[in-house]
This record gives sequence, C-alpha cells and structure tokens, in this order.
Amino acid sequence: MSASLPSGILLPEAVLYSDWFAVWATFVAINTLMYAALSVAKMLPKIYPSDWIRRRNRRTETRGIYPDAETVRSE
Amino acid sequence: MKKWDFSRWAGLSIAAIVSLAGGLLWFAVAAKVQDGGGATTSEGLLLGLWSVLYDTQAPSLSAMLAAVALALLLAAGIAIIERRITARYRRSTDKTSTPLAPKIIMAATRGVFAGPITITVLIPAHNEEASLPDTLDSLLSQSQPPDRVIVVADNCTDGTEHIAAARGVEVFRSVENVNKKAGALNQALAMLLPGQGDNDVVMIMDADTQLDDGFLAAAASRFANDRALMAVGGLFYGEPGHGLIGQFQRNEYIRYSRELKRRRGRVFVLTGTASLFRAAGLRAVAAARGGALPGIHGDVYDTAALTEDNELTIALKSLGALVTSPSECTVVTELMPTWRTLWNQRLRWQRGALENLGAYGVKPQTVRYWAQQLGIGYGVIALFGYLSLLLVMALSLDSWVWFPFWLGIGAVFTLERVVTVWRGGWRARGLAVLLIPELCFDMFLDFVYLKGIFDSAVGRRAAWTHLQHEVQPDVEEVGR
Repeated sequence: MSASLPSGILLPEAVLYSDWFAVWATFVAINTLMYAALSVAKMLPKIYPSDWIRRRNRRTETRGIYPDAETVRSE
Repeated sequence: MKKWDFSRWAGLSIAAIVSLAGGLLWFAVAAKVQDGGGATTSEGLLLGLWSVLYDTQAPSLSAMLAAVALALLLAAGIAIIERRITARYRRSTDKTSTPLAPKIIMAATRGVFAGPITITVLIPAHNEEASLPDTLDSLLSQSQPPDRVIVVADNCTDGTEHIAAARGVEVFRSVENVNKKAGALNQALAMLLPGQGDNDVVMIMDADTQLDDGFLAAAASRFANDRALMAVGGLFYGEPGHGLIGQFQRNEYIRYSRELKRRRGRVFVLTGTASLFRAAGLRAVAAARGGALPGIHGDVYDTAALTEDNELTIALKSLGALVTSPSECTVVTELMPTWRTLWNQRLRWQRGALENLGAYGVKPQTVRYWAQQLGIGYGVIALFGYLSLLLVMALSLDSWVWFPFWLGIGAVFTLERVVTVWRGGWRARGLAVLLIPELCFDMFLDFVYLKGIFDSAVGRRAAWTHLQHEVQPDVEEVGR
C-alpha cells in the first residue's frame, strides 16, 4: 500500500486526521450505535414479562355492561 | 397568559434539553479523545482510515457497548415510567382529580343495566361534498351500522348538506361558529350529550375517512365488555395512490400501527380520523375544562388547541380514563398529495403537540409525550451530525473507501426499515430497502420539527390549513 495519501476533492485529506474530526466521528459513531440498538429492539418480537405473572387481582367481578353476566377473566 | 406563551416555553425547553444532551456527549467524547491520543496512521491506508472512523483508541469497545446499553436503558426506562403512571391512574379512587378512573366508573355503574351500546356518529364537515359520499357509504354498510349519523355542517357553501340529506342522515348546522372543527363539534355535542346514557357512545370521524368493515362491531363489543372503557381509537392507514409521496406516508402509518399493536393498544392519540367516546367521558371533560383542564368550561374540545384530537386524549388520560386502540378498528385516511400540503399538515401537528404540552406542563400523564418530543429532537442532532460527517468525508477523499463495520450497521438499519413495513406489501418493502429515500423523508420531517420549534419560540401564530378536495366530475359529464 502506498504511504502517500491522495488529496481530497475539496478539502485536504488532513481534515480526516485532525482531533476535531476524531471527536465528531466518535460522536456520530456513538449516536449511530445507539440508534442501531433501538432498531434491533424494534425489529425483534416484543416480550411482555407481565404475562408470565399470574395476578390474583384481575377481574374479580364482571366489567361488562350486563350486571348478571359471568365474570370474564381478562387475557 | 396567551396560549403562544405556553408553547414558546415548551418549544424552547425541548430545544435546550436536547442541545444540552448533544453537547454533553460531545464534550465527553472530546475529553476521551484528548486523553487517549490520536489515531495512528502506520497501519496502512485502510486501517488508518478505519481507525479514524472506527476509532479504536478514543471510543473503546466498552464505550461502544455503553452507548448501546444507554439507548436500551433509556427506552426501557421511559416504557417502565409510562406503565407505572398508567397503573397508578387506573387504580386511583380519587373522585375529584380522576373522575373517570375505572374503579370510580365501575362503582357508579355496578348492578345497573343502562341499556345496550348505541353509537351516534358525528362527522364535522366544511365543504366536503367530494369525500363525504364514500365516508357515509363506509359507515352505513358496516356489519353493525351506527344508530344515528349526524353530519355537522360547518359554514358549508357546497353540496355537503344535500349529500347528507340524500343518504338519509341528519344534518346539524353550526351557528356563527368561528372556532373551526372544534367549535362546530362543541355545538353539536352540547345538543347531543345531555340526552345520552351510560352506554351511549359518540363517534367523531373525519369526512375524508373510511371505516374498514367490522370497525363499529369491534368497538361496540369492547364498550359492552368493559363499562370502565371511556374511548376506542382507530388505527389509521393511508389510502392508495399519490406515487412516491403517498408511499412515504403509507410506510410511516404502517410503522405507527405496528408500534401501537406492540403496545397492545395503549394509545398515543385517539385519532380525529375516527374515535369513539363514552358520552359520560366527554361530559366529564367538559365539566373539568376551565379548572383541572385547559379550555372553556362546558366545551368538550379546547378551541385553542391546534390538534384537538391530541388534546382530548391528554384531557381524558388526565382524568384517569381507560382508553384503547384495538387492532380490529382500522380506518383509511387521506394522504397529503404534495410536499407543500404535507409540510403544512405536519407543521400544524408539530405546533399542536408543542402547544398541548405547554398547556398541560410536565405532569405524569404528559411524560410520555415530552419524551417523544425530546427523542425526535435528539434524532435531528444525530441525523444531521451523521450526514454532515459523510459529506465532509466525501469531500476530503478522492476515492471511495468501504468500511465493513459501518456497512454492517447500515444493513441493520435497512433490515429494520423493511421488517417494520413488511405488512405493507412489496411497494412498501421496495421503498424501505433503498434506505436513502426514507432517510431523506425523515430529513424533511426533521425540518418541519425545527420550523415548529422555531415558530413557537418566536411566538408566531400557528394557523389551520385545510386541504381543498377536488370534486370528481360525474360520469355523464366525462362522457359528454
């Protein structure tokens, strides 16, 4: 590989090796990874941990509009 | 205080918090880079550039992992806070602050049968002769048709009233209304609500919206099975047509519906396109206005709100109401046909959301909405940071360089885009897989967001926009 680096279209390539560019690139990298993590979370099927717990306090009486109806347990 | 003062406060707070978050991260990174020293270029061209863009010294693997963990913790944190707040309101027994909380409603209606569920539909219409026929047809041909349909004719100068009468539905004409849709609906509701019982439901739907079959039957069954349920919202998706701009909006709505399904119907907004409300819930809102809620005492809708559906949702939630948006209740809504009309529509939504947040302030029930605004705000910083970085890099290199790691990340984003619109068919997936067009669409929405914050910060008055429909010529006229 060549040791001399080609120059850019408009800006000198040295820009890419400056400190502020490193900060900027890192800033963007961290943001991008944060959004990538959220993207993966959005893609995967959602889990509902509350489904695993059987609660005693659910539907102890009918919530329907017919007072004589039997209690319908939710979910 | 005038309403734009509230909104100015909301917009500026969001801008300040988001900028602070971005700034803090920037300084944290800068400190770390200075600490760790710059990248070495002795590794050759690819590795040299690699270590600039995937800087192995400044952001270590642990920093990267921390970023991922932070994002997931933030998302989970917001979700948990929202769940806790919802649960707290659902269990409330405080009749003064939460008169619509389930326990209170259940106690008030225990052992009493107030008759079967009836549905009265109100359709606010301002010169809607072009779209009203389809709307009425979709309504009247439902497997469970509504008991009563009232077209609320607001300052109509076209054939709206004639079309309503020809289809045998009632017409309510607003009187000297200067408050647009909300004002017209307030007048109709003031006439309607006093005569409504505990199991009578009022549906509000737009004149440019069509219900899918089964909507009313599903909603009625929800209300019958849960007497504490105060509102059922529609899930909207876009009409066909309008080319590329139409597909952008359809994809957006598909993702929104998917998100709501994953939330199991926990509503963000009871959409103005089509939502049903138990009459008792609307009466409680009208009674609380001017006190616990913003607006004029006795009005159901706050006429100062730009997005009255969003405002009414927050109002109901604030009173402890149980609301849901079931996946069976879907509606087709019109799309904006041009970038100009889309810009105006979204600017109104954005200003409306900010003004509502300003009017309610930071309260448990608005935390989720604040988080949403902050999330979009940070997204703007992240996206513009990313794109400008790419631009500077492209201008500083004369040859294209591939970065496998970032290509992999790009693939993750592409996959997410496609998976989340899968239900929309091949056109939706085709647009999503290209990634860049949707990124440009997001940028457009980001500009709307920034304009909304800016306008509210300088106190510019927001205005309603109304899409004028073109009347389709009759078949006879075309044949002539």
